This record gives sequence, C-alpha cells and structure tokens, in this order.
Amino acid sequence: MPPQVEIPKDSWSGSVTTVTLGATAAEGGTRSHTVTVGGHKSLPFMHFEQKMSHRPVVALEIKDHRPEDWSPLLLELWGQAANDPASWAKAAEQAGAELLVLSLSQTGSDGNPTTPETAVAAVQSVLKASGLPLLVFAPGQAELDNTLLVPVAEATRGERLVLGICEDKNYRTIVATAMANDHLISTRTPMDVNLAKQLNILVRDMGIPTDRILMDPTTGALGYGIEYGYSVMERLRLAALQGDGNTQSPMIVTPGAEAWKAKEAKIGHDVPASWGDWKERAINWETLTAVALIESGADIVVLRHPESLRRVRAAIDELMI
Amino acid sequence: MYIIGENIHIMSQRVKDALQAKDARFFQERAVAQVEAGAQALDINLGPRKKDWEEVFPWMVQTVEAVVDVPISFDSTNLLGIEAGLKKVTKAQPIINSTSAEPERLEKVPLLAKKYNARVIALTMGASGIPVGADARVTIAIEQLIPRMLEIDYPMSDLIIDPLVLTVSGCQEYCPELIETIRTLQVAWSPSPAISVGLSNVSNSVPNENRSLINRTYCAMLMGVGLNMLIGDPLDLKLMDTIRIIEQRDASTPVGRLYLKINDRIAASETPVFDDVDAGDPDQMAIWKTVQILLNKVIYADAYLQLT
Repeated sequence: MPPQVEIPKDSWSGSVTTVTLGATAAEGGTRSHTVTVGGHKSLPFMHFEQKMSHRPVVALEIKDHRPEDWSPLLLELWGQAANDPASWAKAAEQAGAELLVLSLSQTGSDGNPTTPETAVAAVQSVLKASGLPLLVFAPGQAELDNTLLVPVAEATRGERLVLGICEDKNYRTIVATAMANDHLISTRTPMDVNLAKQLNILVRDMGIPTDRILMDPTTGALGYGIEYGYSVMERLRLAALQGDGNTQSPMIVTPGAEAWKAKEAKIGHDVPASWGDWKERAINWETLTAVALIESGADIVVLRHPESLRRVRAAIDELMI
Repeated sequence: MYIIGENIHIMSQRVKDALQAKDARFFQERAVAQVEAGAQALDINLGPRKKDWEEVFPWMVQTVEAVVDVPISFDSTNLLGIEAGLKKVTKAQPIINSTSAEPERLEKVPLLAKKYNARVIALTMGASGIPVGADARVTIAIEQLIPRMLEIDYPMSDLIIDPLVLTVSGCQEYCPELIETIRTLQVAWSPSPAISVGLSNVSNSVPNENRSLINRTYCAMLMGVGLNMLIGDPLDLKLMDTIRIIEQRDASTPVGRLYLKINDRIAASETPVFDDVDAGDPDQMAIWKTVQILLNKVIYADAYLQLT
C-alpha cells in the first residue's frame, strides 16, 4: 500500500488587495477591457491551498520617442514602430502585451526637456492606438515628473491609468492628482521592506484608497542582486498574508529595464565565446529575471522584448496548472 | 543594572567640536552628568585618532579622572591609542571595548587587557560578520572568545561578552535572536560570563522621537532573560525609570505593570499577548506595537506607531 502523505496547508489571515487597472467606456474611460491583479490568499502558485485569484500579468514598456539608450537588439526588433508611441503601442499590443507602460523621457528627441504638451500628446496617442490599460511613468526627476504627470492625469481623467513613480521624496503631487482624476499610483522603494512599508503608510495617509495602489519594491537583474530583491518581495508578501495592511498592495517590478542594463544582455561583442548567441542570451536574461520575480510574488512584470514576453507567459501558463 | 554611559561619542557633533577645541570642561560636565544619573562606567569613543592618539587618549583619561572615579571604557579600534590611555589610568579598573573573534583582534586585544589588568568586551562577531541566529553567536563565544581567554590565562570574571544589538530599522530579524542569545549564553559556560550590549544600537537610524521608546521596551525584554549590564544613555529618564520599575518590580502604574508583564513573558519563554495590554491606553499601545516590531512579528517602518 502506498504511504499516505498529507500535504500541510497554510491558512493565512490576510490577503493581497485586488486592484483593477483601466476603465472601459461603461466605467468612464476608453479602454477595451480592464486588467485585475492581486487578491491572493496564499503564496504564489500554491494552488492546493488557494486558487490564485488573478494570474500575474505581463506588460511591455514603450517610450514617448525612439530611445537612444536602449539595446540595438530591441531597437532593431521594434524597427519603425519605435519611432512614435502610437505605432509602438499598437505593435506591443499585437506582440501580446496585457498592459502597456509608457515611459516618458527626460528630454524630447530635440534634446530639450520634455514638455507637458508633448507628454499629454504621447499619452493620448497611445490611448487612441491601443485599448490596453496604460501605466505612465515619468522620468524620475521630482520637479519634472510633477510638471508632466499632473496635466497627463487631468487630460485622461477617469481612465484609471497608473501614474508613477511615487518615491519617498516625491509622492504628494502624484497621489493628489491621481485621486482628483480617478487614476491609480505606483510606488517605488529601493529594495527594502521597511522603506516599502513606510511609503505605503505615507501615501495611504493622504487618503488614496488601497485599491488604487501598486507597489514596486525594486529588483536587480539576474546576477545583479536579484536574490536580494526576491527576498524583499517574499518578505513583503508573507507579511501581507499575515495581515500587515501596509504590505498588501500588488507588486509591480521592471525586470525588462533591469535585465537590459546587465552587460550580459547589453553587450554583443568582446565577450567570451562561451557566452553564446547574444540575442538568445539577452532574452534569457530578461525571461529568467522575470520568472524568478513572478515566483516571489510579482503581480505585474514589465518587459521590453516580445520573445521574453512569450516565454514568461508560457511559464505562467505552466505555473497556473 | 550596571550602566556604561555612552554619551561621549565622536558621532556627536558637540563631542567632535569639544575634542577639536580640547574643551576639558565639556567632557568633565558630560562625565559628571552621566555618573550622577547612574552610570557606573563611562564609554569613551573618540574614533581611531590615527594622527593624534598619543596626545588625545592620555589627555582624555586625565580630564575625566579629574572629576569622576568610575571605570573608563576605551571604545576604539586604535590599540596604540588605547594603550596610551591605559597607562594613564589611576582610578578604577578600565574596560577595553572591544575585541571580536576576528583573528587579528582576538590575538592582540586580550593580551593588552591582561597586561593592564583591564576588563575586555568581546563581540560575538567573526571574520565573516555577525551571524543572525542565536546558536551561531553563542558558538562564537564558547568556541573562540572564551577559549582565547583561557589560553592566555585571563581572569574569566573580567570578560564581558557582547552578543551585539542591531537596529530594528534594517536588521529586524536580529532583534528576537539577540534575546535568545543572551538567554543561552548564561548557561553555555560555567561560571556564566558577564554579558553587556550596546542598547541604543537597536534604534539606530530610527527617527529621534521613537528612539527612547524602542530602547526602553527592548531593555525590558532583555532584562527578562537576565541582562544586567549595558552601554546606554543614563540621561534618558524614561529608560532609567523602566529599569527601576523592573528591578523594583514596581507595579504601581499601568505602564509599569505592562513592562513587568512583558518582562515576565520573555523570562518564561512566552510571547507577550495582546490581552496583556489595555488597548484604550495610547502609551500601552505604543509599547505593544514596539514589542511587535522587536519580535519581528510586524515589519518595521518609521511610522510604525501610526498604524492601527
């Protein structure tokens, strides 16, 4: 007779907040559909404890104009589409993106600082070109971010965009405009559970409802601190399930941006032959970074290459069985 | 509680300025204030003083010994400076703070302590850093620190083991482990060595307004496992009062009763429970939340007291 094994099951008192991105016409926006993340009542993919309420979602990142600093592999792949945000958005949707992240540049293609007008125009053209829910990330300079995000938020009222990135030195204006214009926010802290929780307390203190908050605990790429990022996410998720209300936001991470910064993905020449094919290596770097983070609890991963997206989706499909 | 006063420390800008100006009166006032507040020894941390140790260490000993009689704890990595200071000591048996299990320190510092009949604080830290777990820290003490002392025939009664307090803001997982380290250290060797900790480290990089609360709550918990010596701030009246409450078992106030309850729970290897707390009393709720972060049950954030 085979031995009887009873698989121990955890039951948790807390759960991850359910957050819906985007709004359809019926809900006051123009998206073709919405995307919902979070809601988990157990650790990722522990289906024998609790069915995962919403599967992790893969976003593709696009820019407001053709980026100078992206890998030639990516620029070659996106080709002409990367020349303007609307065509890039369409291409990304066709490539299978479930969400779009529009990263606004610090300067326009003419070298001058990005203006509110061009930022609004870029966002509106993306919204017109694609029905996917959209996240808009400002360049990451406090003053410029606020100058760009407020008019973007006002021009797209009711779309339930995700506005980012709220950091400890700069969150008030973004949270306020998100609340005033019916959008969501994404917070970011540098790989530290204490700081992640603290920022969550601060933004909630402004009165924004929890179902409008995503949190980015930040990660490094494979080989560049991913284990640290992984542990931070794991710890935040455990705390969320144990009932800590300030760690329960769904987690978004940017393995695409991180992996494509790593020299293994970035550099194609003067590297050891044993590193193998450049393109294959770069895609592996992005894919493996993303899949590891999904297993530690990421609800949204932001990628840059459609082939990575395809592979990450395939991995999620298998994990969901 | 044997308190080694911590308030002459080079991290303080006023100490830095006074040292620069050789302001003897400043140091004498700080020394007297701490001793009057209950310090039984004074820790003096002037940094390594790589250039002027020959002058500064002896000067400081003479300055402080002119006004107080308590032991001086030399808190420096500069052994030459410490030795220069030790030579000038005329009053109480001094303390060297510190050695660790790191081979070079463990080779030299105990010999210096023996030569000058000084007590020595030995950190449970090896060449590869500070272990998180209690067992690993106890192992450093009984397999490296104590054997080295026996090897040089150093009086065990002069050894002080410091199992290392780390900050709740960033090293939270160490906080509950230290409690168990202290509990185990006392039975890991016979006779049990003296144990001391740098209490204020638990609130390093915590906003000032919460530091005392975290320090004194942790102190109440550590006293539950028998801590009777620490480096800390004797001018922190609330800390001193918490120590008094526990030593005298003063149950005359609600907050005092809660500190005693927490102390007793830790002593009995139990976890403090919410039933111990009067939830209507904000002071007790603040202590309760502090216990939760110190036991690593709730993730620390600077605003942890604001949470419901």
